Amino acid sequence: MPATDYQGSTAGFPSFGRSVFSFQRDQVHSMDAANNNHDSGAGNLEVDLDAFQRQVANRFHDLWSSASASSTPEGLLSVGWVRKLLDAFLCCQEEFRAVLFNHKAVVFRHPVDRMVSDYFERSVKALDVCNAIRDGIEQIRQWHKLLEIVRCALDNQRSLGEGQFRRAKKALIDLAIGMLDEKDYNTTVAHRNRSFGRNNPSAGRDHRHLGHFRSLSWSVSRTWSAARQLQAIGNNLAAPRANEVVATNGIALAVFTMNSVLLFVMWALVAAIPCQDRGLQVHFSIPRNFSWGLPMLSLHERIMEESKRRDRKNVCGLLLEIHQIEKCSRVMSELTDSVQFPLTEEKDVEVRQRVNELSQVCEAIKDGLDPLERQVREVFHRIVRSRTEGLDYLGRANHSE
Amino acid sequence: MAENGEEKWLAVARHIAKTLGRNDTMADDILQIFSNFDGRFSREKLSEKVGEEDPRAYAALEQTIKALERQISQYVTADQPIWVDSADSSSFLDAIDELIATVRDWTPMAGDKTVGACLIRAEDLMQQAMFRVEDEFRLLMERGGESLELSRTYGNGESTGNLSFDSEDEDEGVGISCDNGEDQQIPTARPITDYDIVIDALPSGTINDLHEIAKRMVAARFGKECSHVYSSCRREFLEESFSRLRLQKLSIEEVQKMAWQDLEDEIERWIKAANVALRILFPSERRLCDRVFFGLASAADLSFMEVCRGSTIQLLNFADAVAIGSRSPERLFKILDVFETLRDLMPEFESVFSDQYCLFLRNEAITIWKRLGEAIRGIFMELENLISRDPAKGPVPGGGLHPITRYVMNYLRAACRSRQTLEQVFEESASPLPSKDDRDSSSSLSVQMAWIMELLESNLEAKSKIYKDPALCSVFMMNNGQYIVQKVKDSELGLLLGEEWVRKHNAKVRQHLMNYQRSSWNKVLGVLKPDNSSLAPNVAARLKEKLKLFNQYFEEICKSQSMWVIFDEQLREQLRISVTKLLLPPYESFVGRCQNVPEIGRNVERNIKYGSEDIEARINNLFRGSGGSAGGRKSR
Repeated sequence: MPATDYQGSTAGFPSFGRSVFSFQRDQVHSMDAANNNHDSGAGNLEVDLDAFQRQVANRFHDLWSSASASSTPEGLLSVGWVRKLLDAFLCCQEEFRAVLFNHKAVVFRHPVDRMVSDYFERSVKALDVCNAIRDGIEQIRQWHKLLEIVRCALDNQRSLGEGQFRRAKKALIDLAIGMLDEKDYNTTVAHRNRSFGRNNPSAGRDHRHLGHFRSLSWSVSRTWSAARQLQAIGNNLAAPRANEVVATNGIALAVFTMNSVLLFVMWALVAAIPCQDRGLQVHFSIPRNFSWGLPMLSLHERIMEESKRRDRKNVCGLLLEIHQIEKCSRVMSELTDSVQFPLTEEKDVEVRQRVNELSQVCEAIKDGLDPLERQVREVFHRIVRSRTEGLDYLGRANHSE
Repeated sequence: MAENGEEKWLAVARHIAKTLGRNDTMADDILQIFSNFDGRFSREKLSEKVGEEDPRAYAALEQTIKALERQISQYVTADQPIWVDSADSSSFLDAIDELIATVRDWTPMAGDKTVGACLIRAEDLMQQAMFRVEDEFRLLMERGGESLELSRTYGNGESTGNLSFDSEDEDEGVGISCDNGEDQQIPTARPITDYDIVIDALPSGTINDLHEIAKRMVAARFGKECSHVYSSCRREFLEESFSRLRLQKLSIEEVQKMAWQDLEDEIERWIKAANVALRILFPSERRLCDRVFFGLASAADLSFMEVCRGSTIQLLNFADAVAIGSRSPERLFKILDVFETLRDLMPEFESVFSDQYCLFLRNEAITIWKRLGEAIRGIFMELENLISRDPAKGPVPGGGLHPITRYVMNYLRAACRSRQTLEQVFEESASPLPSKDDRDSSSSLSVQMAWIMELLESNLEAKSKIYKDPALCSVFMMNNGQYIVQKVKDSELGLLLGEEWVRKHNAKVRQHLMNYQRSSWNKVLGVLKPDNSSLAPNVAARLKEKLKLFNQYFEEICKSQSMWVIFDEQLREQLRISVTKLLLPPYESFVGRCQNVPEIGRNVERNIKYGSEDIEARINNLFRGSGGSAGGRKSR
């Protein structure tokens, strides 16, 4: 429910649009001028490229170290960490863009132009991932709502009775169903019907409503697959050969780096957040000889490990907060199953303590999701913007040939 | 019940006195205040029980709850839907009201053991009642929709929305209803032209029932459940409506890979769907939501957002995908349609999505609308690239109209039919600072158009170099220049480029005409010029020689230039006249001179091949084109 104002991001556009006009009028001129400056610009280029590599490396080292320090609010795959990851992407992308546009004369010409437009094509594929992730965040929000019902049922009451627990339990079961993978869904609904039949005369009668907490659908077509999309982004992505590096004044390295960042970030998003047909088996070839290679590889390994852990194998997203929702709802379910009425004082204390924990999880999610969604949108907008800009320049470069 | 109510009040007053009064005297004072305040709190009723349990009040509470248990459990276990019978439903609601009131009134005293135990029972009862009511709520939502479905099939459900939103041929509509067997009854109704309709998706009575339930659920702190059921049902309805509008869920990549023709169809459907959604469906949902959750603003706003979010994002994602897609110039017109649709729907976005939860949807719409503007500018950029990169493949025979001229001019004319929109699009990108005074003389769009014309002209200039004959080169420029001016003059383009531009380009055409005359006729005219040595003795021979030369040149020109093309009839006529005027007087005087020479004059018939009429006739034969293929036909 983010009341986001995107005026900020759109305000960035006119400045580029304006440049189109001034450019058009003395376009032949500026192209020539750029050619003449070619040699003098090359020195700067090297500096800029180095700075870019350093930036990427710093960002990934940073991501690695927060992932390793377990107690920070930015631990691996937490909402905080994912936001940091997106931040890293935005910064790298911005720096990359600066490199491109500060060295237009080299960049938007053969042979670099093809590499750059290749990057733009890959980044367009990432847009669908961003949209899917947005759906996924909405999904988490639905789970959060169910958790809030649990909290509402058991919180802030002087006396807890069976009624409140039944209410909590219903929400917990809906939550459990909601968090199932698509494939396990049907079998479990049947089970829910059985287990929830008692004490609630209406539940057995009306089967249809069981699916209601699940009816949130994806905004993409049924056949869309996050795994396939990731594969498409990573398709034919290989470190440039030495001669390519020379022929492009080193820009090929920057393009490869940005491609890798794009792929990794999208992959990590898919790993963390529910989306249609998740799959993490994407071919990654991260060469170690890049300064960012090692932290990226290590993060990749850590996330893969995480996905293979027994308790996380079949989850719909590796996001830490999803794990917390699961843990919380499991604990609460056990509790609701085991309580006897009237509650003993001891049990009462325990329930209140659990509800307290649950409230904290709820708060963290409530505070984290909106900014996360805004950031995913920002990534989307930035990708579009820099691609638009790039296409403009690519078009014009050809145009003056 | 009245007596129960009084007992309750008394118990509350006693409880307050007991809690606030630190000693008996203070409690007594408090009770005194109560008794002064209202006769019902008389000292006798109150004071005797201070400081001790009140079996009478508790007994009343017990009794109330017992009664409520009896009543409510009878409904909770009912096999039939309760809301089919209004007597049942209203007494169920009454029981719930009493339960809610009881819980509310006694909660301050929950610390008391007996009261606490009663409250637990009450809460238990509440939960059962709420679960049942939630089911009834869902049932009403679903049944309400169905009954309308039914009334639709009978054809005359006036305000109930007998719509198919489909202005296309009926075959398709019929085809669809046959596909999904059960829904065969979906009427393919009259097409919608007027969007000023509100659908009542549920009958008014049902809406009232829903409102009554919602009120209770919110009061019992079951608002989240209520809103959730509500939005899941309505969301399903909206999704169903969208699929009836035959709108697909497409990823950006799918849109990019789609064949343009298919995408055009999809855009057509999208435009219809967007209008129906923003002008009919969403406002109707808003109204329904506001009625069901009347007086519960926050629940209403949240529920409405949950209902519309997915569909709105689906709509916007498609527009976004179109904006991000290819910049091929042929796409301009459809993208303009999408841009205009979103622009025209902005007031609807504003009014429907104005609350805090929906604001982000409105902002998204604005962002994507702007992005479509960028896409349009991108298309013009691509057009520029295509024009300036268009290679000179081979000469157009006879110096006629080049296809690029025709393409670009007709394209721009068509584009300028959306002049106002384009002006808006280009104004967005222009710097707001310069030329406030002479705004109309050079809008951003005029600058853009002038720039494209310049690109076209310089491209044509390059293409003209392919002709070896400079006269033919001029004819080519004249033809294309004339075409450009004509297409500009009688359209919006003329208004954009301005009279000055037209004047300048008319002058250019004349210049090309002069160039043509010079390079093609100067040699001939040179022959006809009287030379000063005409008194010389060999004058007859020289004139004979000249006559021969003239005939030769003239025939050559006529031969080649009869194959040339002036596509514009008027220009062709004008050109012939001016050539005739140019040639005939010197020729006639030349012939006169010849006739004065006896050697030639004696044998006029044999020596002078062309009379004035012949010359004129031959000139009128010029520019006929080769078999009328390239430029012979009148082009439009």
